[in-house]
Amino acid sequence: MSGVSLDGIVKAYGAVQVVHGIDLEVQEKEFVVLVGPSGCGKSTTLRMIAGLEEITDGELKIDGRLVNRVAPKDRDVAMVFQNYALYPHLNVSENIAFGLRIRKEPKDRIAASVEEVAGILGLTEYLDRRPADLSGGQRQRVAMGRAIVRRPKVFLFDEPLSNLDAKLRTQMRAEIKRLHNRLGVTSVYVTHDQVEAMTLADRIVVMNDGRIEQIGTPMELFLNPANMFVAEFLGAPPMNMVQAEIVAGEGQPAAQFQGHRIALPKIDSLQNAVGRHVTVGIRPEFAEIADDSVAGRVGIDIDLVETLGSEALIHASLAGKPFVIRTDTVGQMAKLDHVSGFTVPPHLIRVFDSETGRALAGQVTAA
Amino acid sequence: MSIDPEISGARTEELVIEAREAQRDRKAGRIQRVGDHLRREWQIYLLLLPTIIWLLLFLYKPMYGLQIAFKDYSVFRGIADSPWIGFEHFETLFNNDQFIRAIRNTLIISVYSLIIGFPVPILLALMFNEVLNQGFKKATQTIVYLPHFISSVIIAGIVITAYSPSAGIVNTVIGWFGFDPVYFLTRPEWFRPIFIGTGIWQEAGFQSIVYLAAIAGVSPTLYESAVVDGASRWQMMWKITIPSILPTIIIMLIIRIGNILEVSFEMIILLYQPATYATADVVNTFIYRQGIQGGQYDLAAAAGLFNAVVAFVLVITANTISKRYSRTSLW
Repeated sequence: MSGVSLDGIVKAYGAVQVVHGIDLEVQEKEFVVLVGPSGCGKSTTLRMIAGLEEITDGELKIDGRLVNRVAPKDRDVAMVFQNYALYPHLNVSENIAFGLRIRKEPKDRIAASVEEVAGILGLTEYLDRRPADLSGGQRQRVAMGRAIVRRPKVFLFDEPLSNLDAKLRTQMRAEIKRLHNRLGVTSVYVTHDQVEAMTLADRIVVMNDGRIEQIGTPMELFLNPANMFVAEFLGAPPMNMVQAEIVAGEGQPAAQFQGHRIALPKIDSLQNAVGRHVTVGIRPEFAEIADDSVAGRVGIDIDLVETLGSEALIHASLAGKPFVIRTDTVGQMAKLDHVSGFTVPPHLIRVFDSETGRALAGQVTAA
Repeated sequence: MSIDPEISGARTEELVIEAREAQRDRKAGRIQRVGDHLRREWQIYLLLLPTIIWLLLFLYKPMYGLQIAFKDYSVFRGIADSPWIGFEHFETLFNNDQFIRAIRNTLIISVYSLIIGFPVPILLALMFNEVLNQGFKKATQTIVYLPHFISSVIIAGIVITAYSPSAGIVNTVIGWFGFDPVYFLTRPEWFRPIFIGTGIWQEAGFQSIVYLAAIAGVSPTLYESAVVDGASRWQMMWKITIPSILPTIIIMLIIRIGNILEVSFEMIILLYQPATYATADVVNTFIYRQGIQGGQYDLAAAAGLFNAVVAFVLVITANTISKRYSRTSLW
């Protein structure tokens, strides 16, 4: 089984610890994305898997073999770097073949492998060009070609799309996903872009300050964030947060704040939390716009409506704080002129402990 | 091929006038752009000014005096009033055995220096780059840079002392093996090795800074990527470091070739003596003896001009070859 196992992985530079005991099991053929803000330790973790950084403590296993003290070349991993790491003096063909030549593979096998990989990545007509003569997307493909050609057990991607423009990034994202589906190689991918994480990952690992905040499928993390950090990090625009107090409502608990009241799901953890001060999280996508005629709506002050084509972002304020609603435009443009509040299904609301930031227990929404 | 009747006779003339006007407009536009640029960036050009003045005063103005290479120059008549004599000085030079010997010595010393001395700073830089212990690296770098900052007179003193037949360390070591002392600095066959060796010792460390800077510019991810691919340090040096600094190596080589006839004049003056003229006398020392000591300024100017023309041709040739085959060039 060519998975990757991290057990209590710690990285310290002198007295400064930057990764504080990571536990992660990446299954064979799985595509796992490490996501988090800059400086959260995701790239350091990836570099420890690659062998480019020493592991201070903990155990790293690749394919079931302990590799803490194994040289990078003997770990059977291939890495794609943020700035592509292409050799400027070599052409595309030589760049792709570099790893195989270093390992002194037979020339005919190298040529066949390069040809095959170039075919997969659509690079056949560029084989004689040097990196300087390629576009950003083509360079990125060459970098992936270098990784693929070695047929490693694990692919490691370190923010490979961050140097590309938005359009190309979308295109390359899809190519990476297709490539993974085709090759089925275990992959660990680092990014700070939550859209990349959501679209590429089988499972996402959200990291913050050298720790794992939550591990799960993209939809699990989107619907059931374990804490306020994950809730606000994943999703664009981020989840709206409102300070409130839990009160006993009519047959079910409710969140009350500055004259407003929102019904919450009828679950034990919320029913037992009456009187507690909490943070209520509402995703912009889950708030449904309402006009004055809708009973039970929560009133908001509209600041700005941004029309993005098929959808619109309504920027408003609720209890003196910014509140964003994302809504469809098709067929309801006229409705947008009369928005004065919103409603939200109770099961799509998340309630967090204001002190610890953790989601109160028992709130689960099925994907 | 038929000619369009529209574009003939008067029409052709009109087109030519239009084209000329358009060209004039383009030129005027360009001049205006340069003017705008100068007005906008005048501070930068002000910074450049001292260097331009220095170049004009000390490199371009003296070129006026080059004409004495073609004149029967007299200090009393001055440069302008001395009579023209064409290439007479050049004929004299090429009929002078000492000058021919000086050219031969210059070329031999330069080519040996180039072949032996040029790779040394590159090797030093590559070795420094491989040293992991920062303390050791800094200490060795300081030691090899140091001779560059010592005056040539002192370096020559050290060399003379080191090779002294009575108390020099070299002859002392030779003496340990039972051999007689060698009078190195009076033996023509030893002059070139000693001179080239001294030059390398004095300058190789300092010259390695250029290559170290080039190595520092190589992206660390190239090495990391190679490490993951399984490259050893040796392979990384050959397949990443050297190709990455190759443009710098070529530029340095072109500059070096341009200066091939400029052997270290002071060091030769300090180390040579009539006994070693056969191998040590170079064009610059010949110019010094003829021009300054012998008062033949016009002959010395002709020899200097010859030197400069050869250097110019060499630099152009090296640059053209490099441009064609390695896509790297000075201009």
